[in-house]
Amino acid sequence: MTFAACALAVARKDLVSEWRSREVLPALAQFVLLALVVTLFAFDLDSASAGRIAPGVVWLVVLFAGLVAFGRAFAAEKEQASLEALLMTPAGPVAVFAGKALAAAAILLACEAVLVPGVSVFLGVSLPAPAIAAIALATLGMAALGCLFSALAVQTRARELLLPVLALPLWIPFVVYGAAALTGRGPQALANLLALDILVVVVAGLAARFVLDE
Amino acid sequence: MNKLRIAALLCVPALAAAAYMDFVFAPEDELQGVVQRIFYLHVSSAIAAYACFAMVLGGSVVYLWRESPAADRLARAAAPAGLVFTTVTFVMGMIWAKPIWNWDPSKTWDARLTSTAVLWAVYAGYLLVRRFAPPGRTAARLAAVVGIVGFIDVPVVHFSVQWWRTLHPQPVIETGALPASMLEAWLVTLVAVLLLAGTLVATRYATERNRELAEARREPHELVRLESAAGTS
Repeated sequence: MTFAACALAVARKDLVSEWRSREVLPALAQFVLLALVVTLFAFDLDSASAGRIAPGVVWLVVLFAGLVAFGRAFAAEKEQASLEALLMTPAGPVAVFAGKALAAAAILLACEAVLVPGVSVFLGVSLPAPAIAAIALATLGMAALGCLFSALAVQTRARELLLPVLALPLWIPFVVYGAAALTGRGPQALANLLALDILVVVVAGLAARFVLDE
Repeated sequence: MNKLRIAALLCVPALAAAAYMDFVFAPEDELQGVVQRIFYLHVSSAIAAYACFAMVLGGSVVYLWRESPAADRLARAAAPAGLVFTTVTFVMGMIWAKPIWNWDPSKTWDARLTSTAVLWAVYAGYLLVRRFAPPGRTAARLAAVVGIVGFIDVPVVHFSVQWWRTLHPQPVIETGALPASMLEAWLVTLVAVLLLAGTLVATRYATERNRELAEARREPHELVRLESAAGTS
């Protein structure tokens, strides 16, 4: 099997298992809606201020939903002690990592498919197309870094603690360019996000071997 | 007297000379007044922090490449020193920014300030990984990955003043905008701070090595592993 076939097989396995158990996605969708409800109560919103804070709320929700989605990607394997078995297959650690990152990115994208209409329903703000493209692009890079740190954190004593501490600082560039895509400098910010995605995917792909290789 | 003691004793006159150069020898800035004297320590400790993080990067790469315990020890020794110098740079910068930018963190966002805060968080995370990972090879391997991936932020901090429009001034040293007497004062400070950084890293390195040897003495089978690894590196 080629690298891509192995990675896709792992991603398919994760998505099928998520489809059958329906563990992460319903909980995350509920988290997204609750975060929007909390926003309504936490801020004193009117039609003018809703438009100003909506992008910030979107990015905060994406970051925290990402922490849950990527954390679960490796925590579930660790709990069932199936990660070792997965790594013993001839697929190789990098293909396993790529597959799991792809599946986690797909789960977060599905969660954002709830978030974007949710923002227009709850806050009355419809996000423009460049903003949605920016969220999708950022999700890919965030998944690569997030899954790298998730794979690292499950091997330590404090996994829930360590993932946000490691992932959030290095996700900040995605928020910087993602927020820029919402404020008019769309094409330039999207190009920057794409470049950042490529850099992060390459770095995470190179580092994954050392994280998963026991 | 061992080399570490000599280096530590040398730091005292070096730092005293730097203090003399910064507060007495260097002329007072016409526009900013006395607060500009922060510049000498601020820039020097930023460079020392970059140097420490470069040591973490180098140690991490060599460790992943050849599993050399010495490389891991270097990375482990340099990270806290880098964190200390980042803190010094950061605090000095905030004190300087307060009167000159009329700085208020809730109103002004500065790319270099923010990216430096991120840098601090990345290497604090590095130390947390070392603490929470199972000790030994796993901790070294996982921390090495963080030490390499986290270094991405160092060029971001360095070039942030060119990539974004910031309040932070552009570099003055490599462009030759600094008067000669100020440059001399800064060079003396830089040498003193780098000497201090080197001494801190070397002391920590020796401490870590002694700790490993003490642990090996408690568990003799570990000593074989340490010594065979030391022989190959």
